[in-house]
Amino acid sequence: MTRTPIRRALGAVGLLAFGILGAGPCAVLAQDIIRVGAPLPLTGPLAPDAAKQQQGYDLWAETANKAGGVNVGGKRMKVEIVYVDYQSNTPRAVQATEKLITQDKVNFLFSPFGSGAAKAASAVSEKYEVPTIAATASSEQVYDQGYKYLFGTFTPNPTLTEPLSDMVRKNAAGVQRVAILARNDLFPLAIAQEMEKSAKKRGMNVVYFERYPIGTLDYSATLAQMKAQAPHWIFATGYINDLVTMKKQMGDLKIDAPVVTMITAPAFKEFIDASGKGSENITTAAWWHPAARYKGKDVFGTTENYNKLFTAKYKIDPDYSPASASAAGAILQMGIERAGSIERRKVRDAIAAINEMTFWGPVKFGPTGQITSLEPPVIQIQGGKHVAIYPASIKQGDLRLGVK
Amino acid sequence: MLTLQILANGLVLGGLYACIAAGFSLVWGVLNVINILHGSFIVLGGYLAFFAYVKLGIHPFVSILIAAPIFFVLGYALQRALINRMIAAPVLLTLSLTFGLDLMLSNGMLYAFTADFKKLTLDPPLGVVSLGSIVLPVDRLFAMLLALALTGLLYLVLSRSRIGRAIVAVRMDREAAALMGVNVKHIYAMTFGLGALMAGASGPLLAMIFPISPLSGPVYLGKAFVICVLGGLGSVPGAMIGGLALGVVESFGALWFGPEHSVTLSFTLLILMLLFRPTGLLGRTGYA
Repeated sequence: MTRTPIRRALGAVGLLAFGILGAGPCAVLAQDIIRVGAPLPLTGPLAPDAAKQQQGYDLWAETANKAGGVNVGGKRMKVEIVYVDYQSNTPRAVQATEKLITQDKVNFLFSPFGSGAAKAASAVSEKYEVPTIAATASSEQVYDQGYKYLFGTFTPNPTLTEPLSDMVRKNAAGVQRVAILARNDLFPLAIAQEMEKSAKKRGMNVVYFERYPIGTLDYSATLAQMKAQAPHWIFATGYINDLVTMKKQMGDLKIDAPVVTMITAPAFKEFIDASGKGSENITTAAWWHPAARYKGKDVFGTTENYNKLFTAKYKIDPDYSPASASAAGAILQMGIERAGSIERRKVRDAIAAINEMTFWGPVKFGPTGQITSLEPPVIQIQGGKHVAIYPASIKQGDLRLGVK
Repeated sequence: MLTLQILANGLVLGGLYACIAAGFSLVWGVLNVINILHGSFIVLGGYLAFFAYVKLGIHPFVSILIAAPIFFVLGYALQRALINRMIAAPVLLTLSLTFGLDLMLSNGMLYAFTADFKKLTLDPPLGVVSLGSIVLPVDRLFAMLLALALTGLLYLVLSRSRIGRAIVAVRMDREAAALMGVNVKHIYAMTFGLGALMAGASGPLLAMIFPISPLSGPVYLGKAFVICVLGGLGSVPGAMIGGLALGVVESFGALWFGPEHSVTLSFTLLILMLLFRPTGLLGRTGYA
């Protein structure tokens, strides 16, 4: 008997609390906040890559909000990023994207990680007509579906392999035999195939081309076979865990070559830390390098300012991966501000029309939605540091030969 | 020459695989518990070696001696406090229990050590030895020898010592062993402790060779499963044979069919074994 009034009182307090905390401010806030959905592989094998993406998105949201928010037709709106962990599982990335649109009611989206997942999820965002920016998808196969709402901050794969091949051709005429080892995954395989084309185009001989499965632990048999081909140029693709393991095992088998290129990991400081002296003279290509000096019109302004903000927040230098995530945010912000609205169709048209300099470089999207205006740098690890060796505008050193 | 190099690689890799699987096979064979935690124990052992080396300069080989008793106590306590309560339950329930514990452990490691891959890089490196044209990295060679020694030691403990015989007795007939005065709960905990010890001790060995990540547990666990089926469940020589077989098959698979098919080959072998020789290469059920 005594319980009933207490229950009623509790119920009333609960309702009141719901009224104050739940419905009230949310209804107001919902109009003042731009919600951007970001499905990321926060756990699972791709977690280190997701952590970098998250850093980039967070830095953009923080910078935009500190500046008062996004200017939407004179009204300042704050941004909020809604993360969903899809556990490095592509089918779950697609579900997460749909959940973000239908349940979390996000206004815009960033793609899940890598070309494969971005392509899979783009079908969903296209269906709901949600402008989506892919910060880590370079393969042209992602953008060739005729979708209107998908944009990408990475130029197509050949823009990485072509300058690299030119440079090797020019500086090391003796390099004839090329061995390619690729992770059997959309982007790593696609870039390996581009490399094959670039090498053949320049009269080089591709003596070895193999793919290894995702989750490979041991490369020794594969590498022993590659060594038997005596390659001059070893081109290996994969993500950081793959390539750190592979480089260690190359050392174990005494494999050396004038040129060793790995994509993507060597652009990250973690690769140098993990590989030590074994990383010396490894070349890689990326879409951006902190040595660039662009004077942008976006929320970050110059590349120098971006580097400063990033280093202040995370105590490390940025690499292309978080920078691309920040660029995705900055481009979205530019689109919204130019549209003067958060109406999805208007923002989509505004993004498609952007032709502007940013801290990330010149931004202009091609008819497929993929950026066409960047000139991706070639980077070499020299003396335990990243050194840009191409293009001439940001060059810090020359190509060095000999990787042990 | 290439064939010899690949055979050598395969055998060295196989030694490591044997070490991964021995403890897992023991626990499965004796307790009938599929210990999903096994992979994460290996990873935790790897982290122990990593931090001991980076912060205190302790060589990973020495870390094995530190990891072994720690993991034994951890395993013993875990079995005594938690798993023993469910030991009579169907295997799926104990599997769920260790699965849950594994989620807690791997997420705990994710929280504590972040998802970044860590690599234990010895300075100066141990280098390589050349036998004619065959090159073998010293760290792998040492790790394989140690792995074989650890596995051999486990075999000796089980076949020669009093406690080992009691473990085998419990495996063969729980009730009869209990009637003979064997404290079954204690033996179960000892077994789980030994299994954890093997996992924890292989951590530092593997840390010298592969990058460490809180999420590599399942990779090791997957290998342990295949090895158990190949070699025969619950026997130390079985784990040894299974490990070596898997190492060699994967290496030659990569040579003959390309690296992308080496895993396919080992799993095809697994299915064939299950179909035609479900007791494994050694063909014995039970622990001996």
